[in-house]
Amino acid sequence: MMCTLIVLCLMVLSTSKSYAYIDPGTGSYLLQMIAAGVLAGSFFVKTFWRRIKQGYQRLLSKRQTK
Amino acid sequence: MSGERVSSSFRDPSGSLFTLDGAIYRQVNEEYKAHYDQLIESGLYRELAEAGLMVAHEEVAASPLGVQGAYKVLKPEMIPFISYPYEWCFSQLKDAALATLEIQKKALDHGMILKDASAYNIQFLRGRPVLIDTLSFETYVEGHPWIAYKQFCQHFLAPLAMMSLKDVRFNQLFRIYIDGVPLDMASSVLPYRTRFSFSMLLHIHLHAKSQKRYEDVIIDKQKTPSKMSKQSMLGLIDSLESVIKGLKWSAKGTEWVDYYQDDSYTAEGLQHKLRLVNQLLDMVDCKTVWDLGANTGVYSRIASEKGATTVSFDIDPACVELNYLEAVKNGDSGMLPLILDLTNPSPRIGWANEERMSVMDRGPADLVIALALVHHLAISNNVPLGRIAEFLAGMGSHLIIEFVPKTDPKVQKLLATREDVFPHYTQEAFEADFGTLFEILRSEQVRDSERIIYLMRRISQ
Repeated sequence: MMCTLIVLCLMVLSTSKSYAYIDPGTGSYLLQMIAAGVLAGSFFVKTFWRRIKQGYQRLLSKRQTK
Repeated sequence: MSGERVSSSFRDPSGSLFTLDGAIYRQVNEEYKAHYDQLIESGLYRELAEAGLMVAHEEVAASPLGVQGAYKVLKPEMIPFISYPYEWCFSQLKDAALATLEIQKKALDHGMILKDASAYNIQFLRGRPVLIDTLSFETYVEGHPWIAYKQFCQHFLAPLAMMSLKDVRFNQLFRIYIDGVPLDMASSVLPYRTRFSFSMLLHIHLHAKSQKRYEDVIIDKQKTPSKMSKQSMLGLIDSLESVIKGLKWSAKGTEWVDYYQDDSYTAEGLQHKLRLVNQLLDMVDCKTVWDLGANTGVYSRIASEKGATTVSFDIDPACVELNYLEAVKNGDSGMLPLILDLTNPSPRIGWANEERMSVMDRGPADLVIALALVHHLAISNNVPLGRIAEFLAGMGSHLIIEFVPKTDPKVQKLLATREDVFPHYTQEAFEADFGTLFEILRSEQVRDSERIIYLMRRISQ
């Protein structure tokens, strides 16, 4: 409950700068805020891992061509 | 001279659609100027149009519409046939979803974001999904969540998950729910195991719970602005993309999907039928063809190869799936496979029953193909032959139609478990009833069968 209140206090649905015309839905809007950290973290890990994999594959293909 | 406003164009104050002299125009309103300019000047429009992800347009110098408040008037490329998500097979909806996310990623690269994510904003052009709403973008403000997240989940993720994991026919919910599948419904229908997938748990189950929990909460807009970093936004899009890519559906095991492997025709009879349809198509100058009961599109493909824009309708989602995948594989840009139940064809739906067109509103076609169909309508669905003739006459000016007599094994099978209350179902009655509305130009019996194929032309009223 406390957590919800904190999120609600931080939350603003202000769209004054945008040109949104559909209702984002309070629950849908809040959920993105709540999950933002997890989404950013998992995306970071995923892209980081992808880069390592690509780098390793490049290294492997270079060695094979030598 | 002034244009006529398209009846579905009223929700977004950024602009509106008009038709004039058979062409379509999109008005960009003054208040949307900054966003439209950014779309063009950032290079986003060009990149999307060149990638085939967005419909191309030209700016019309002077407004031909006679309307006020226009910043620009655009003339977009015409979509040959407007289709709706309740007419799409699984892979069409999935491709439309992935196209939407690809557009979103490119928009973010250019400092913009999709302000809506409606499945109705996607249409099939040259066989591939394209965004038709040029005004779907707004300037991205880092920190703000995605306004269209709910809409995307309702229009794409929820129906795709239900189609993939429960029953492919769930796409018909679009006919009832104009703004996509309610997430609480998706959450209650989807298997329990989906709660152990992080993406499904978040985007469907927790999303539904969050909607329910905060449906009556009034948010204080004066508080500190919320923050959702761009990294979080990219994470959200990546998560949606991954979960949608992982949803699969295999087209097999339905009544119609093995139709051409069954015993309806001998090998020679089938070859004869293909040649005959080919010849009859050459006798008509047709730019648009509707193939009704097209199965996996064997005959539609003949029309498409001749350059006709061909809409290939079938009731079976598995047939439409196979038809679509084959068209994509072959790069067949003239084919549009769609799901349609002829006994209950797509009606007008939406606000004032005017937002989405009925299938008849989208016609007529130059030519209608109705092969191995009439016996299903007349016997399985008790539709009198005269009513079938009236229906088909409203769909197109020419008709290639096959009459399957009562002696045919397929008709015998239909009659096997029911009383024959169809004394009028004869070749003579068929020709007489269709003859009141059509002129029979040619008829020929299919080899090794008693089936007869006709080419007819609608008599001008």
